[in-house]
Amino acid sequence: MCLGIPGRIVEIHQDEGLAMGLVDFGGVRREVCLAYVEDQVEPGDYALVHVGFAIAKVDEHEARRTFEALRQMSQLEELDWMREVADRSLDAMSGGPA
Amino acid sequence: MKYLSEYRDPTLARALIGQIRQSASRRWTLMEVCGGQTHTIVKQGLDELLGESVEMIHGPGCPVCVTPLEQIDRALALAAMPNVIFTSFGDMLRVPGSECDLLQVRARGGEVRVVYSPLDAVALARKNPEREVVFFAVGFETTAPANAMAVWRAAQLGIRNFTMLVSHVTVPPAMTAILDAPDNRVQGFLAAGHVCTVMGWTEYEPIAARYRVPIIVTGFEPLDILEGIYLGIRQLEAGRCEVENQYVRSVRREGTVPARTLVERVFHLVDRQWRGIGTIPMSGLALREEFAAFDAELRFGLSEIRASEPTECRAGEVLRGLLKPPDCPMFGNRCTPEHPLGAPMVSSEGACAAYFNYGRIRQRQHAEV
Repeated sequence: MCLGIPGRIVEIHQDEGLAMGLVDFGGVRREVCLAYVEDQVEPGDYALVHVGFAIAKVDEHEARRTFEALRQMSQLEELDWMREVADRSLDAMSGGPA
Repeated sequence: MKYLSEYRDPTLARALIGQIRQSASRRWTLMEVCGGQTHTIVKQGLDELLGESVEMIHGPGCPVCVTPLEQIDRALALAAMPNVIFTSFGDMLRVPGSECDLLQVRARGGEVRVVYSPLDAVALARKNPEREVVFFAVGFETTAPANAMAVWRAAQLGIRNFTMLVSHVTVPPAMTAILDAPDNRVQGFLAAGHVCTVMGWTEYEPIAARYRVPIIVTGFEPLDILEGIYLGIRQLEAGRCEVENQYVRSVRREGTVPARTLVERVFHLVDRQWRGIGTIPMSGLALREEFAAFDAELRFGLSEIRASEPTECRAGEVLRGLLKPPDCPMFGNRCTPEHPLGAPMVSSEGACAAYFNYGRIRQRQHAEV
């Protein structure tokens, strides 16, 4: 549950006063809350993301390496899981099947 | 770490293992706190590669595993209520309660939805003002900022049909409980890298000094873990007991201050029961009185629901590092991921699941060779 995945911040916006952003995880994009790192990040930066929240800014060089390691270890299960849950959440939001 | 080309370079891993073996003059006993680290260790067989230099004991850092049976039963009761949409991280769905699990409640018509972020549950409450949306807030300090923000956000937006069933736990009191136990064998810790990303490591400094144990803040990749073990053994050999940071790409001493600040604003420390372990003083987070309107236990009057843990499951010994999963008489026969007796067999961070899943894979590979 404490798994954190580094992703690249694509854009940043405010959602009714809350800093949110689109974050790219090797092709999978998700809305992420940036409230805890908003003073430190700009688009292009990497953040460590846990359950939809950026909990730290990560050095991009280091982030790429971690991600490569994750890929090599075929530990993309978490990303697949995230993709699946994201799809399901979208269904839920639009009133589709849970 | 900056000279490593990959966090999982086999050549570097071999080099680190060699260094660890060379520097250990005796067999040391380290505990990795986090279940994510346990999975890397068991999956990659790092414990076996390290041979006689170090014994890795698996710690209690699996929030799913330590959530008390009582809270699971309360979750099940909430999920079965007709007007409730019960939301949870996916890990909790198969954790056995006294009678059944959340998946079975869903099969019987309860509305149980998996969310990726607690903010998704808040959004769901906003979209469904006629329903009660409850979120199962479990986890360690890594997850607390997300859950704190969900409550803060619901309060800010005036969303009244959103509540949380809170079962949050914190790592340092569990470490001291392990060190205080008369049968403790742990000589040093790999602290959980993502918990420390949020909290920093200042809380660990008095623990290292008081109990004279090295504590290495460690990441989750094989090379992270091997380097953490190496730093720990180097300290033990030199008679040092300090907090050292291996996970430099993510962890700063003070942690992520805005996250810590909101967690402290929304939650306060309480005594908390850990499944299989018992009550650890001031080891849990609960909603502050100011946010009592978002407390599902208060809104739905769940305090009547009590449960006692089955005696068959020895998860408590596993979670305290006293019993290795394969040494449990139930392991792999009476208790499997399909028919679990306890949470460590179903959680993605559970030690029993790690041994069951990866142990089997390794045996198969041996068989194929």
